[in-house]
Order: sequence, then structure tokens, then C-alpha cells
Amino acid sequence: MSLQEFWDYLVLGVMLGSLYAVIAIGYTLVYGVLQLINFAHSEVFMLGAYGSLIVLQLVSPGDNPSVMASIGFVALAMAGSALFGGVTAYGLEKVAYRPLRRRGAPRLIFLITAIGASFFLYNLAGKLFGRDPLPLPEMYENREIFSLFGAGVNITQLLQFATAVVMMVLLDLVVNRTKLGMGIRAVAQDAEVAGLMGVNIDKVVSRTFIIGGVLGGVAGFLFANLNQVSYTMGFIPGITAFAAAVVGGIGNIRGAMFGGVLIGIVETMTVPLLGDEWRSVSAMVVLILVLMFRPMGILGERVGRAA
Amino acid sequence: MLNKTIVKLAIPLAVGALALTGCGSDSGGDGDAVKIAFQGPLSGDNVALGENMQNGVKLAIDQANAKGDLDFTLEYVPGDDQGLPDKATATAQKIIDDESVLAVVGPAFSGPTNTASPLYAESGLVTVSPSATNPNLTDEANGFTSFLRAVPNDNQQGAGMATYYAKKVQAKKVYLIDDKTDYGVGLATVAEKNLKDAGIEVVKKSVPQKTPDYSATAKDVVNSKVDALIYAGYYQDAAPFAKKLAEAGYKGAAISGDGTNDMKFVELAGDASENWFLTCPCTDATVEAGTKKFAEDYQKAFGRAPGTYSAESYDAANMIIEEIRKAGGDIDRETLRDALKKASYKGLTKTFSFEANGEFKGTDVYLYQVKGGKIGYQGNINELVG
Repeated sequence: MSLQEFWDYLVLGVMLGSLYAVIAIGYTLVYGVLQLINFAHSEVFMLGAYGSLIVLQLVSPGDNPSVMASIGFVALAMAGSALFGGVTAYGLEKVAYRPLRRRGAPRLIFLITAIGASFFLYNLAGKLFGRDPLPLPEMYENREIFSLFGAGVNITQLLQFATAVVMMVLLDLVVNRTKLGMGIRAVAQDAEVAGLMGVNIDKVVSRTFIIGGVLGGVAGFLFANLNQVSYTMGFIPGITAFAAAVVGGIGNIRGAMFGGVLIGIVETMTVPLLGDEWRSVSAMVVLILVLMFRPMGILGERVGRAA
Repeated sequence: MLNKTIVKLAIPLAVGALALTGCGSDSGGDGDAVKIAFQGPLSGDNVALGENMQNGVKLAIDQANAKGDLDFTLEYVPGDDQGLPDKATATAQKIIDDESVLAVVGPAFSGPTNTASPLYAESGLVTVSPSATNPNLTDEANGFTSFLRAVPNDNQQGAGMATYYAKKVQAKKVYLIDDKTDYGVGLATVAEKNLKDAGIEVVKKSVPQKTPDYSATAKDVVNSKVDALIYAGYYQDAAPFAKKLAEAGYKGAAISGDGTNDMKFVELAGDASENWFLTCPCTDATVEAGTKKFAEDYQKAFGRAPGTYSAESYDAANMIIEEIRKAGGDIDRETLRDALKKASYKGLTKTFSFEANGEFKGTDVYLYQVKGGKIGYQGNINELVG
């Protein structure tokens, strides 16, 4: 592999990784406050993509929209996906997890509920929206806009990367600098004591789900923009992002970001080095290696401090 | 703990399934309702291909009933295997258990055919697939005694692609991708052999279905400096891949098989699908003279034009109906199977007759190309390369 090719793949890997990172945050946030692996998060991601599709079908961008119109369409699609993602995650918490939490159900029950909710949601989406993959209407003329050390970057990739970075920076600010963030961190550290100190646990938990859902939904939109929308689109990115969250240290937001980018790069680099069929294998090998030497993930499982 | 529970459940289930396969068959038509089933993806990612075929079968049955010269009523039975090998056995079993089903059109895909055919063979229920093109399916060692292939297999398609690249495109180096399904691997293996025989250098890769991001693969294609590409897989993956290829700046020729030959490919990939070649052992029902009338009837019945394998499914169903009609509706599964094996039926698309192992007699493969957002019919490959 020449240096130039290395750069090309590295740029692609970071782009893909930034998406995994955003999805991984959804897993990690929920794990942080509830110590629950929310396997239905991949469906939040999928429904987010459908949210943007529905909005775009409503406004239907024609051929060659102007620059301003393009920005408008992207913003609307993103808002649609954020809304769908947020509402789905909120609904999940309310319907699937809160009743269990009230009754103090064992961990395993949460996990099974999560898997059940995931099955329910993707089959529901298949029923509602059809089981055929659908294209996301074109919002702009995709073309290469600049090159990064010789690796061309097009609008879709820039949009994907920039949105991911902005969302991650905002999230970091929310968790570390706001009252809600303090609540999240307090609940993560010790839910019972946080409750005694006057933190409204239910509120914090449900807002955490909404934040994770908004991020997951927007990631769904970005992903659909890259590929297409289908009711089974959540599964593979969901599992990969979950692996990324564990690699970085589950419960640790910066760990999820780091893990996502790392897995994205590993997967992409595998293609020229070993071949496409080894992509998922190499991602999982990285996961296993990390867990062998650092069972808490690379940046450590900082439950207690969700950031 | 958990494992024990699963084992406890699995034993009665397995016994039950065995008991069910034991019975069935030997009943035949009871005078009024004779059922013809279809097995293929009626939900899931490849539903578009399944529906094209289902509609062809439905149309054949409706027209036969409407004609009024049958002593029995034909009924349609859908069998949804989602195009997945692991779902196919349950689907097949359900069809087999319905004793008034005399024949099956399908299974649509090669993978499901592979897993379902042992069941069909055992029950004596004949399956006529207008689209399962993996060459190994008719290997006699498999013992798929109830399987008839009503379509030239992938050996013909793979050879057609290779011939076209060698003679028309004059490619020097070809990037060959399979999607790791039975269909894709079969097609790619044959194409690879034919390309190498023609002295063309081949870069062969496997890219599993549902790969979340094709950017890196597309980059690899460009970096390999090939002048042509073969994608052996289905449209729902070919579409995002085509998009990424366009973004990566790939300028060479691209060809894919009948799994991609569907308008959904063009809808999903948009401009990126432009100039893609598509092969198919199927003709274009809306263009070929023999199928014009069928295309109109189809349009009237379902509100859209016939798709890939619609006309072939219609033919397969009609061939079955013809044999049942000859017997006056009173025929059992085995007799019908044996009659079909010997039959020579002139359908709209081609003449159907079979080798002893159920293989289709005939080798015609047709070429299509995406032009201006439509899949344009080019003609018979053997004639195109001259």
C-alpha cells in the first residue's frame, strides 16, 4: 500500500468511524445511567433514517436545488431524524424499561426486553414503511469539494464528519457544563444517592435516552445519505457501534468517540489489506484484544463519571 | 441452564418436524381445488424480485380459471422464504403439508433452493424454478429429484459476461466481486474461469451482503486500475456500491447479473447506475414480440409493468397448469413431477424442456444496459458478440 493509498483509506476510515462514534455514544450514555445495554438503539438509528426520509418526501427537493435550498433540506431532514430518534428512544424508555425499573427487575430481564423491543421495532418499521430498501432523495449535487493530503473529500463525507463532530462537541458540553449534565453524571455515579440529593432520577434517565436517541437518529440520517434506508439497516452498524463503545470503555463518552473512530479505521484498512470479508472479523478481533489487555476498555469504564 | 431448556424444546420440535415430513403426498386433486404454490421472497430485502414472479404465477392461474375449460379450480398459495436459506425449510414444509398443492413455482433464489429441495424431493412435490441459477443445484449427487430449472444456469450467465468483456469491451483486467451468497459465489466462480480462459487478468474479492459502507471497496476497485468490473450479487447491495464507485471516480465498465436486473437498482442508485450492464437469462417482456400481450395483461392486473422473471414465472405456472389439465385435474404429485420432467412446453419466453437431472435445455443469455434511468434491452449476448 502506497502512502497515498494509506491516506485515502485513513480518511474514509475516520469518516465511517465518526458515524460509529455517534451511534456508540447512544449505547454508552444509557449504560452510564442505567448499566443497561440498550440493544434497541440500532432501531432508534433505523427509525431516525426513516424520519429524514419522510420529511424529505414531504418537501421533495426537485432537481438541482440552490445552495440555500440544499442547506434547508439537509437541516429539515436532520431535524426529522432527530425527532424520530428522540421520540423512539423516549418511548422505549417509557414503555419498555421504566416499568421494569419500577419493579426492580433483574439485569437479564432488561437485556431480553431490549432485544424484544428491537425485534418489535424493526418488524413494525418493515410493516409500516415496506420491506424494500428506499433511496433518500437527493438534497444536493454531491461532488468533491477539497482534498485532504490528496484524498478527495466530497460533500456527503464532509456533512457526515462535520455533523458528527459538532454533535459530539455539543454533547461533551452538555454533559460537563450544564445542570442536566450534572444530573446525568450524578445518576451514573450512584442513582440512589443522587435521588436522595434531590435529583429527579426518572427525568434524568428519560432525558438521557432522548439525547442518545437524537444522536442515534441523526446518525441514521447520515448513514442513509451514504447508502439507503431499509428496515434492517440498524443491525450491523448497531452491533459494530456497540463493539466500539466497549472498546473505548462502555459508560465513557469520550471512550465511545475514540472507539468508534478506531473501529472505523480498522474496518476500512482491512479492505485493501485482507479483503472485505474480514471487515467485521478484524473489528471483533480488536475488541477481543482490547478486552484481553484492558477489560474495562481503552479509556476505562468510568461509570460514575459519564464523561 | 439455558442450553438445557433449548435442548428440551428442540427434541419434541425435531420429532414433530420428522413426523410431518413422513406423511403428506399421495393425495392429489380431489376434484375441485388444485393448488399451485410459489416460493420466494415476499418480504425482506429482495421482495421486489419475489413480487415480480408471484404476479406472473397469479396471472397464469387467474387466466386459466377465467377461461372456464378446466374441470377444477386452481388456487394460488404464497410461500414467503424472504430469500433466506434458513427460512426456506419452514416455508417448504408448510407448502408440502398442504396436500392439495400439486406443484410449486420456485424457489426463487439459489440458497433457499439448496436448503428446501431435500424436503421437496422427499415429498415428491415438484418445484419448477424460473430463477434459481446456481449451477450446483442440478448436481445429481444432491438428490434434488423434484427440482426442475426453467432457466439457463449461471454457467451461461457467467460465460456471457466473460465473453462480452473479452470480445466487446476488450478488457485487460477485471475486478470480480461476489456477495458470499450461493448465487453470487456460483456466478463469480464461473465468470472467473471464463475470464481466465480468455486471457484476462482477474482480481477476485468477496464482499458480504449488507456491508454497511462500500467506500473502501470502491476505493480498492479504483486503486486496482481495472478496466471492467463484475458484481455478482443482488440489487440492494449493488446500488450503494454503484453510488460509491461513482463517487470514487471509477470510469470503467460494470456488469451485474439477474439479481441486480430490477428497476429498484436504478431507483436506489440513481445516476450512479447509468451505463451499468446487466445480464439475465430472461428476456424483456415489454420488448420481445411474443410477450407483448402478456405485458399488457400484467399491466392491467397489477398496475405496473412486468419485472425480471415475471414472464418466466408465468410460463412456468402455465406449463404446470397444462400438465394438470391434460390429466383432468386428477393427478398425484409424483405423476405430475414425472410428466413435467418429460414435458416440452412452448412458453412465451422460450421452449421449456429438461435434462434428466432437471437442468434446463438451452443456453440463451440476454444483455441489458441502464440508459437514461431505464433498463434498456440490448439483445442476446451470443448474437451481440457475433
